[in-house]
Amino acid sequence: MTGSGREHHPPPVVDLHGLRFAWRATDRDLLRIDALRVPAGEHIFLRGASGSGKSTLLSLLAGVLVPDRGRILLLGHDLTTLSGTGRDRMRADHVGFIFQMFNLIPYLSVMENVVLPCGFSPRRRARALAHGGSVRAEATRLLGALDMADPALLSRPVTRLSVGQQQRVAAARALIGAPELVVADEPTSALDADRRDAFVDLLFRECRRAGSALVFVSHDAALAPMFDRTIELADINHADGADEAGR
Amino acid sequence: MRTVLELAVRSLLNRRATALLTVLSIACAVVLLLGVERLRHESRESFTSTLSGTDLIVGARSSPVHLLLYSVFHVGNATNNLSWESYRAIAQRPEVAWTIPLSLGDTHGGFRVLGTGPEFFEHFRFGTGRALELRSGQALSGPRDAVLGAEVAAKLRYRLGERIVVAHGAGDVSFSLHRQHPFVVAGILRHTGTPVDRTVLVRLDGMDAMHQPPAARSDVDPLDAALAARRGAAPPSTAPRAHHHETRHAAAPGPQASTDGHSAHGAITAFLVGLKSRPAVLSMQRQINEYRAEPLTAILPAATLPELWEIVGAVEKALFGVSVLVTAVGLTGMLVALLTSLNERRREMAVLRSVGARPTHVFALIVGEAAVLTLTGVAIGIALLYAGLAIGQPWLEARMGLFVPIGWPSMREAGLAALVAVAGIIIGLLPGYRMYRQSLADGMTIRV
Repeated sequence: MTGSGREHHPPPVVDLHGLRFAWRATDRDLLRIDALRVPAGEHIFLRGASGSGKSTLLSLLAGVLVPDRGRILLLGHDLTTLSGTGRDRMRADHVGFIFQMFNLIPYLSVMENVVLPCGFSPRRRARALAHGGSVRAEATRLLGALDMADPALLSRPVTRLSVGQQQRVAAARALIGAPELVVADEPTSALDADRRDAFVDLLFRECRRAGSALVFVSHDAALAPMFDRTIELADINHADGADEAGR
Repeated sequence: MRTVLELAVRSLLNRRATALLTVLSIACAVVLLLGVERLRHESRESFTSTLSGTDLIVGARSSPVHLLLYSVFHVGNATNNLSWESYRAIAQRPEVAWTIPLSLGDTHGGFRVLGTGPEFFEHFRFGTGRALELRSGQALSGPRDAVLGAEVAAKLRYRLGERIVVAHGAGDVSFSLHRQHPFVVAGILRHTGTPVDRTVLVRLDGMDAMHQPPAARSDVDPLDAALAARRGAAPPSTAPRAHHHETRHAAAPGPQASTDGHSAHGAITAFLVGLKSRPAVLSMQRQINEYRAEPLTAILPAATLPELWEIVGAVEKALFGVSVLVTAVGLTGMLVALLTSLNERRREMAVLRSVGARPTHVFALIVGEAAVLTLTGVAIGIALLYAGLAIGQPWLEARMGLFVPIGWPSMREAGLAALVAVAGIIIGLLPGYRMYRQSLADGMTIRV
């Protein structure tokens, strides 16, 4: 499980065990997870109440935070032994993010926002090129697939898009260059139910096409049936300080 | 890194009002800094190139700087004159190759009138050894001839053959006009970029004839003489010279002709000396300074200029200090603009981190913005400076007598501009580092 045999059997996208995390050494543990595995291409619904440490867990998976104890393997690479730069590179190459809201860089156009990861990751640029012929063509294809093909929308400043439109642009950005893992942190909480379901449908379709695993975090249990698997954070997190400091 | 630089530019364009103000304040600082430097350099250059090939300047006893200023640069007035006899005695020394007598004290239309001789056209050199050239007409041939400097002719719009009347004293407004002795414009000089451009040249004998009053002013009242001397006029201030003054009127155009054709004149203001052998200059200077018949001062122009710079240096330093402060204020403005933007950009940084930006990218983004702001400011500042020089060149020349050539920036100017750019980028390190720390602490968590 520690990164061997990565050619023949693709390693799980995420494989963590023995994880412990506290914001400060004096705090009680916020997260204490014995094991969590996300196989390639799987769509996982991670449900938890607010303050349960969901966002912190995502930051750990993305290598922005480092656990106090335990191992986190991303595609077989142990994030806990990588340098900060190494973790940042892993994230740039293999993880796409969608936040709850305000995902977009306000001074960039829709197109520039979508292609942004390709500026930081040569790997994702190369994959976008292989897929769409050019980075912009791939971005246009993704935007089209996410119902954002209207040229009038593309020329609008991103701050003038509706929340739903902004989330779809963010999804296109997360998916460009086909990262192995797409992490969505309550991306639908600002959407009404119809738009929410439509968004999740589109997201699923494109994740499948890109072959990306999806970790979808929400407190909204109504979405759970659409996923391959649902994990209750409270079930896997044995820490008792979870309700204190999480955000 | 290209992505980061593009982001920096896009982000600045998004905040273009603030960015423009910052750039303009840096540009203004650069204009001031380089402009002061350019004017300092060019004014020194112009002073240095006013006189060339002259070994000594001799005048009545005074401070060297003062003598240099009034004799060559026509700044201020002589407090004393020196006698014709002393001038001739020194001019006839075997070491002396040539001399040029200078007699100042009258004006025409606000321009100085310089009484001199044909030697002026023969021996006077400026810049890199250039001689005076006539644009039209001829050099001084008769006592009523006047030759105009280029600027005098241009400003007063005189043509050859025109009659001009000289006013007594150095002021722009004079109540005493030498109407009885008008001059005729005989020649107009080419532009030299020296005070000669702003001078009306006449012959010494013409000047003498002009000063010859209908009723000779023979009564030498000490107060009157002192006042006259303060105005820089030629009349005598001491008894022996009063004597010469009177004998001059009595004798002129007397037979007191000297070997090189000069008739005797009254006192002159100063004279320039060229020696046959330059090594003799120091002993010659000493001899003149110890001249017994009359207290005289001889200076080496090249040795006295540094003394002048010492005096002017304080003003230059003050100006330079002010422009450095203005530059500091401009850069501080940028620092403030960047620092205040940091908090509202935390979300932006979190998003950038999520798409793969490292904390060093975030650092580079902020420093890059500082670099773009400063470099644009410096570039616009240099452009503004050159535009200002192109527009202000005629004015500077007409009003200050300073010709500022438009050439490539000097090494020192380029160094100053580079220093501003580097200072701006270094200042950008501070907000860059703060953002870096913030980004490390925040990660992708958006806290607002």
